Amino acid sequence: MSASQSQPLPMSAAQPAPAPTPSEETNPIRDAIAQAIAEHKVILFMKGTPEAPACGFSARTVAALQTLDVPFAAVDVLPDARIRQELTALSDWPTIPQLFVGGELIGGCDIVTEMYESGELAQALV
Amino acid sequence: MPSAEDIKQRIEAAIAGAHADVEDYTGGGDHFSATVTAPAFEGLSRIEQHRLVYAVFGAEIGGAIHALALKTHAPSKIPTN
Repeated sequence: MSASQSQPLPMSAAQPAPAPTPSEETNPIRDAIAQAIAEHKVILFMKGTPEAPACGFSARTVAALQTLDVPFAAVDVLPDARIRQELTALSDWPTIPQLFVGGELIGGCDIVTEMYESGELAQALV
Repeated sequence: MPSAEDIKQRIEAAIAGAHADVEDYTGGGDHFSATVTAPAFEGLSRIEQHRLVYAVFGAEIGGAIHALALKTHAPSKIPTN
């Protein structure tokens, strides 16, 4: 559960064929997630795709974003369990979906829905 | 498999002064929704309030507890609807 081992290790020069490494040692997945969050103003980590959400909570969050007509990047966490594992370690948030705006976690379905209903989401996405 | 009452008691035991209303909305013992009010939420963002509640259950969230839908309020900000 802890994100205490988040520092990347220096690359070893004499590395033979790379063996699969546990997430505590190197974190290419976590790095890729962090990069995706940094590169997209609005990014949603979800189960399934915006066209075919695989969970009601993801579907509801996508619907809120689509109603506001904001472009957003979406990452499906289902193809590889490590995506969710590393995302949760990075964000300290246990559930999917997770919406990030401007590099910051806005919340999951409950918070996004509350903010949508109160008008705060539209403001946050400007 | 936890019941809504178990979830309520665990939240109220772990967060001082908390009041929780919990519903098992599928009846299956793994999808719950909770409305929680606690003095500890005062001055915290929604994210931080939800993290406090999630922290009560640790890895059970996403495991044995498939979903815990949350609404959290500080006592001074209880909605009046």
